[in-house]
Amino acid sequence: MATVVSPRAERHVDRLERIWAERPGLIGWLTTTDHKRIGLLYFFTSLAFFGAGGVEALLIRTQLIGPNQHLLSPQAYDEVFTMHGVTMIFLFVIPMTTGAFGNYLVPLMIGSRDMAFPRMNALSYWIFLGSGLFMYYALVSGHAPNSGWFDYVPLASKQYDPGNNIDFYGYGLIFNGIASTAAAINFIVTIFKLRAPGMSLNRMPLFCYAFLAVSFALLFALPALSVACLFLELDRQLGFHFYDAGFGGDPLLWQNLFWIFGHPEVYIIILPAFGIATSIIPTFVHRRMVWFPLVALAEIMVAFLGFGVWVHHMFAVGFATLTTVYFAAASLIIVIPSGIQLFAWITTILTGTPEFETPLLWIIGFIIFFIIGGLSGITVAAIPFDQQVTDSYYIVAHFHFVIFGAAVFPILGGMYYWFPKVTGRMYHEGVGKLSFYLTFVGTFVTFFPMHILGIMGMPRRVYTYPSGMGWTFLNLLQSIGAYVLTAGLVLIVANLVVSYFRGEPAGNDPFGGDTLEWSTTSPPPPYNYPVIPTISSAYAMWDKEDRERDNRRLDRGEGLIQLGHETPASTVQDAEYDEILAMPPHSPWPPVTALSLLGMFAMLLLHHYAIAAGFVVVGLLMLFAWHDKEVSV
Amino acid sequence: MLLWWWMLGASVIVFLGAVGMLGLAWFRRRSAGLPIFGEREDINQRLVLLFGIGIPTVVLTVLFAVSNIYLIGQTAPPAVASTSMTIDVIAHQWWWEVRYPGTQAVTANEIHIPITTRVNVVGTTADVIHDLWVPQLARKIDLVPGRKNRVLMYASRSGTYGGQCAEFCGFQHAHMGLRVVAQSPAAFRSWLTSMAAPATSSTGAGAQAGRQLFMSAQCASCHQIRGTSARATVGPDLTHVASRSTLAAAEIPNDPAHLAAWISNPQAIKPGDRMPDLGLSRTQVNEIVAYLDSLH
Amino acid sequence: MSEQTRAAMQGVTRSMAAQSGEAVTEVVRHQRAQPSGWWGMVLFLCAEVTLFGTLLATYFYLDFDASRWPPAGIAPPKVVLPLVATGVLVTTSIPMALAARFARAGRRSPTAWMIVLALVVQCCYLAAQVLLFRHDLLQFKPSQSAYGSIYFTILAAHHAHVVLGILLGLAVLWHLTLRGLTNYWLIGVRGVALYWHVVNALAVLVVLTQLSPSL
Repeated sequence: MATVVSPRAERHVDRLERIWAERPGLIGWLTTTDHKRIGLLYFFTSLAFFGAGGVEALLIRTQLIGPNQHLLSPQAYDEVFTMHGVTMIFLFVIPMTTGAFGNYLVPLMIGSRDMAFPRMNALSYWIFLGSGLFMYYALVSGHAPNSGWFDYVPLASKQYDPGNNIDFYGYGLIFNGIASTAAAINFIVTIFKLRAPGMSLNRMPLFCYAFLAVSFALLFALPALSVACLFLELDRQLGFHFYDAGFGGDPLLWQNLFWIFGHPEVYIIILPAFGIATSIIPTFVHRRMVWFPLVALAEIMVAFLGFGVWVHHMFAVGFATLTTVYFAAASLIIVIPSGIQLFAWITTILTGTPEFETPLLWIIGFIIFFIIGGLSGITVAAIPFDQQVTDSYYIVAHFHFVIFGAAVFPILGGMYYWFPKVTGRMYHEGVGKLSFYLTFVGTFVTFFPMHILGIMGMPRRVYTYPSGMGWTFLNLLQSIGAYVLTAGLVLIVANLVVSYFRGEPAGNDPFGGDTLEWSTTSPPPPYNYPVIPTISSAYAMWDKEDRERDNRRLDRGEGLIQLGHETPASTVQDAEYDEILAMPPHSPWPPVTALSLLGMFAMLLLHHYAIAAGFVVVGLLMLFAWHDKEVSV
Repeated sequence: MLLWWWMLGASVIVFLGAVGMLGLAWFRRRSAGLPIFGEREDINQRLVLLFGIGIPTVVLTVLFAVSNIYLIGQTAPPAVASTSMTIDVIAHQWWWEVRYPGTQAVTANEIHIPITTRVNVVGTTADVIHDLWVPQLARKIDLVPGRKNRVLMYASRSGTYGGQCAEFCGFQHAHMGLRVVAQSPAAFRSWLTSMAAPATSSTGAGAQAGRQLFMSAQCASCHQIRGTSARATVGPDLTHVASRSTLAAAEIPNDPAHLAAWISNPQAIKPGDRMPDLGLSRTQVNEIVAYLDSLH
Repeated sequence: MSEQTRAAMQGVTRSMAAQSGEAVTEVVRHQRAQPSGWWGMVLFLCAEVTLFGTLLATYFYLDFDASRWPPAGIAPPKVVLPLVATGVLVTTSIPMALAARFARAGRRSPTAWMIVLALVVQCCYLAAQVLLFRHDLLQFKPSQSAYGSIYFTILAAHHAHVVLGILLGLAVLWHLTLRGLTNYWLIGVRGVALYWHVVNALAVLVVLTQLSPSL
């Protein structure tokens, strides 16, 4: 299926084509270990959850379109806004960035043929799907989690939420966390070890730096959430007292544990977006990124510093002044690495010759929203101000600007940017621009007035509001904005779907990209690169001599590494060539292991602890079988 | 609020500056390099240093000093010795219990304070986490099980100030409001004295029947009316309910029609609330209303 | 790519082809970086250390807030037996480290015997800890206080990791005996050894936390 450079080269890749051929049909998708297929699975699944979360958002906005509406009862509203938050964060944004974009692109950008642990990669996807289905079963059966996406106790305790709504949340997030932890380990080892020989750390694309930072953040943040959910379920199911004030426990323990995870989580959400931005900008402004090493360092600093600020979500809780002031100071310090990146991007755009095509437009939109969201974040680091606006619509405005405006816009831009690479076809540029403008305006109109509403005193998480407060017009405006935003998003999907079938052939490199994925075919062959690329700088695609040298090597049949299903591994820092790894071709074990985990969580939910233990045993046996037949040459 | 306007001003400047640079990038999209300087990587880097590190450090330090060193003293819990009185507020799902320590006064959903007096409000909760928020008089303060959080409330002018719960606390979080009435010290003292007194006994026939019904139907199993045999504290204290301006946690005005509607069908006004539909007939409701309306 | 690299790529050992002890030593000799599987275990252990860090921090958080710890009615923990048991567990790092060393030298039989030795001691440790756990449960319950909740949860988490370590050791042993020492299982041995070093270190922290009211 690949179209290679020259007829001479064709016979050399014949063997590669045969070794790396995907199994056909559904079984091929179920047992795949190919990072690109897994990336696509993640993409469509997380897109579906985006749709679900979007429907939930529209339900919220429609309920709030006027005062005292009756579209949703308070019980239903509570489930809808909780699921909106949980879906968007755990089932859309993280899987879309790490699972879809990361999986598909990181191996391509580092010149590798796959991730370091391809079967674990597949396992991460199937676990993600399982956790999503697990939590959505709750919604479908009318028992969705209903105490907010950060689920404070005691409201979420058995006493005040006796059904199994919260259990779907507690178990579901532990389940989901396993997928992300495994993915994080996979990315780190891949980036450390599988970079093409010659791609020393200072020649690695900024996109990969962002994913390296994200993966470390995930690795160290998720345990706090898992422990918090473990304690929650032990309290709820077995009568433990971690969070019971009357028994020596503390409801604030939940808040601390949750936000120790939760704050790094928001940097986990935004860092991949930074990575996408730093890929699109150089390509469309035809210029290298200003001060590349500083930007790379700033990306890592953001992830690192993000662990030290969690109490800023708790300024109204009643802690001592010294405590809150320390965390406010730490929160302000994080502005610096974000500011560095922001002005590096702006300076790069200013000093380049930008072409304001669709992907770059999305990044401009991202920059604008990131500035506004960042500024509102700075204002709430002023503790007295935060103590008035926290838990009001001002905060809803802030986080939607940074999460929707600043994390999702690059995703949408990235969808356009890499669409030609993934599908081999070009999207329609005019419709692309229109979809941007619609979405931009819709986003602004939906979320900007929320700043004002918050300052006017509208609290968050209310299923309705009284008339006569002066809130009605702004709420109406916001709801209209939400519909406009939806129209923009629908237009994106329509553009991409139609272009998939009817778009112009895109060729390998329609934009003049700077990273390696543009050197291979569109879509890439299963083995990504017939010849492992030569690397001399961080902008591999712009090193024309290297690319020509690789083509000549291909013509001569050199350096194909094709004794088996193979890719090279290098040393960590300088990427000196070290050994050749054998990659597992397909495996049925990841989906069935994920299934046994799903069985375990379902049985825990139903209080059938013995059967749950049975599923654990089954899962362990599957892991044993998985490693039984080793990967050989 | 002054802090807000300064922050807004600074934000607008930053925003316009950055967008201005983007606009400049659009105008100069055909030429590479900076205006005036051209392609100078060292100047580019200095720009990043200036805007990314230099200016933010200065601005943020100023912001930090003003808000978190200087202003924060005003929102810290007051030294008890600096306050003239204490009020206990206990949050419930979905109403506010208000007590005046040192007196017998207990009321619900309405706090009275004397003007120009530093009031030490001590807050906690009987169930889940709530948040006391009276925007015009004080910062938000979370009410957490096992903790007594204190906040300063100070009204310089008399009037009625609205407040509401600001931490999601369940189905009727949206309808958990309260009123703070700031009065002259004399008016406050007379209010407090009447609050502390047991219920005024009523003489009208309808009210008498209502009182009977109150004690024998389920009302007394949740509500307290001091001076009678109704002593339960599950729901709000109703000893002086007729003196309040609102009902159901500042949800509906306190007049006979609304009170009747509330008693007949609380779930229609606050679905999911803890007060059940009691299945009373219209006559019974009217009698109870007559009784409660006499409890000034 | 440099000439050296290209030349190197012509004749390097494909590590997965190492199916015997001898071939394994060859791979080990040429390798300059740690293998992927080793890194994977390191990172997994980072997550587990963070998990235990969170559990232990919770213990001290609740301790700090409490007026009496343990609460009234619960005796402070006895020190001797848990310390002795932990000391015994920690010694299993020696056979595991030796196993890894023998494996790198390509010597299958000594590797397997070291793992067997470690497993025996680990199983004895586990049995002793289960008995101590049951004894504690008869004195006080996790559903009676936050102290009980965190105490038993930390211990249960630790014991679960010991069980997992024993299972990992058994799996490695199985493959060593039935399939021989291949490069894949060299990485397995090294990974499991690393796992045990970290679990043993955590065991020390856990027992010190568990016994902190009495120390």
